[in-house]
Amino acid sequence: MASSSIANETVDHASERGRFTLYKLITNRYFLYTVSLVGFFALWHWTAVNKIFQNSLATPKEVLDQVIRLTTMNFAGNNLWGHIWGSTQRVLVGFVLASLVATPLGLFMALNKTVNAIVKPLFDLFKPMPPIAWVSLAILWFGIGETSKVFIIIIGTFVPCLLNAYNGVRLVDPDLFDVIRVLGGSRRDEIFNVCLPASFPAIFAGLQISLSAAWTCVLAAELMNSRDGLGFLIKRGMDTHSPALVLSGMLLIAAAAWLSSLAIALLERKCCPWKRSIDNI
Amino acid sequence: MPKSVSEEVNEQFEKAVDDHYNAIIKGEIKEGIEEGTASGVLVQEPLNAPPPPRPAGAPPVKIHCEDISKTFIQKGNQAVPVIRDITLDVYENEFLVVLGPGQSGKSTLLKIIAGLEIPDKGYVTLDGEPITGPGPDRGIVFQSYMLFAWKNVRDNVELGLKLRGVPAEERHAIADHYIRMVGLEGFEKHYPHQLSGGMKQRVGIARAYANSPKVMLLDEPFGQLDAQTRMYMQVETARIWEKERRTVLFVTNNIDEALFLGDRIVLMEGKLPGTLKTEYAVNLPRPREHTSMELLELREEIISNTELVL
Repeated sequence: MASSSIANETVDHASERGRFTLYKLITNRYFLYTVSLVGFFALWHWTAVNKIFQNSLATPKEVLDQVIRLTTMNFAGNNLWGHIWGSTQRVLVGFVLASLVATPLGLFMALNKTVNAIVKPLFDLFKPMPPIAWVSLAILWFGIGETSKVFIIIIGTFVPCLLNAYNGVRLVDPDLFDVIRVLGGSRRDEIFNVCLPASFPAIFAGLQISLSAAWTCVLAAELMNSRDGLGFLIKRGMDTHSPALVLSGMLLIAAAAWLSSLAIALLERKCCPWKRSIDNI
Repeated sequence: MPKSVSEEVNEQFEKAVDDHYNAIIKGEIKEGIEEGTASGVLVQEPLNAPPPPRPAGAPPVKIHCEDISKTFIQKGNQAVPVIRDITLDVYENEFLVVLGPGQSGKSTLLKIIAGLEIPDKGYVTLDGEPITGPGPDRGIVFQSYMLFAWKNVRDNVELGLKLRGVPAEERHAIADHYIRMVGLEGFEKHYPHQLSGGMKQRVGIARAYANSPKVMLLDEPFGQLDAQTRMYMQVETARIWEKERRTVLFVTNNIDEALFLGDRIVLMEGKLPGTLKTEYAVNLPRPREHTSMELLELREEIISNTELVL
């Protein structure tokens, strides 16, 4: 028997389509997506038009118009892109600084008992503290400039980065180390061939959580005090009683957070090709 | 409430029995308990079959296990003796099968030979050199495959060579040779999760071979496969072994697998601590048939010698 006879299974996709029926339509995934979204926007529009929240809710159309207007006009010395960039810049600086320190530290903690014994008690002390609790102290220490905002973001992103890197290494199947030893490898080989690649998915999960924490933190910092950024737009909308502006800011920050998380997902696909193929199934 | 005399005597008696058993477990008392000792319990030592005389003209001894015992300490300081007093020779280029039911200590025996466990008593030698730890001279195939999910088939197979600093071109050639030998050509770039169980174990076998070990240790390698694939993998294993002769120690709980593959079958006692019971020589030509008369006769004989249905 030829050896090519292994793995000759084929997957036949059932592509035959039956008659189009009403039942098929109402159970169709995309149909239900559409129904859900249209229903939501209709409810929103109805609530705004009927002044359920008095004058404090703009219709979807007004919000859209507001976003379009923002792209063409200057608002407090910045156009829309300037505000988006302002927030993104803070998120990027804080996130990159925190993950560059926290991820290696987490790996070290998992690999070295001494490092773990020194860092863990401090880490456990600060872990449960909500990052927003640092806002006042940050302003007292660093003033109301960029430094205090970046500081808040670092505080908020540090914990998930470190925790995931730490757990990523600790959850590696210890029998895999036996394989390295049996193949003639050293402790160094165990770390570079098992610990690091095995913890990659966990590290990336940590980066995703950190990033969404970073957007939360930048918003909190900008709401406190700032002259640009998406948080500033929201704050200005509140001060001038412009619900359309508040909602625009909310939508824009959601879009920015979504795009940045997409970027991390792409980076993960690049770094973990074995996981990419799992996703594709 | 004060204890009655009979209660006290009872407690003392139970304590004496406990102490005695603990002493046996810890190896402080080597011999079986004689009649009339404190415990008053007759414990029959398992009779190890004396090592059979070496047949004249047999190939040289590759692995030698001298009187090894191993006890694991479980949670709560409970001692579980896993194997006891095992003396075993594996000859050069021989296919030796260790056959025993689950929980008979056969995997522990293999791990000790691999150097992943240190025996409490006795020692193991490979080519006369005592084994002190794991090393690339012993290739291991694990029951749960133990492939690296983040490496493709070729990188998995050539990992041992890479760790030992073999230049890239050379190790590619070696890896490709063994990938071809196990019938996986065309799958070099696949990741383990894209392969079926049988294919994963082919990678495991290729990885062990690629390191050119002196001996191959296979720990129930087909235990996770379905019956059909398992049979096919047995045929493949026999074919590969005919092609690249190595000293093989193959651990299994499957009697048909043992008969189909082994030059010699060592039967282990079906309870802990594991001891060697008997051994059978399978002097049958290859390729063998699972249903040939001679195999079935030997199968009858082995089954009649085991308490548990394997």
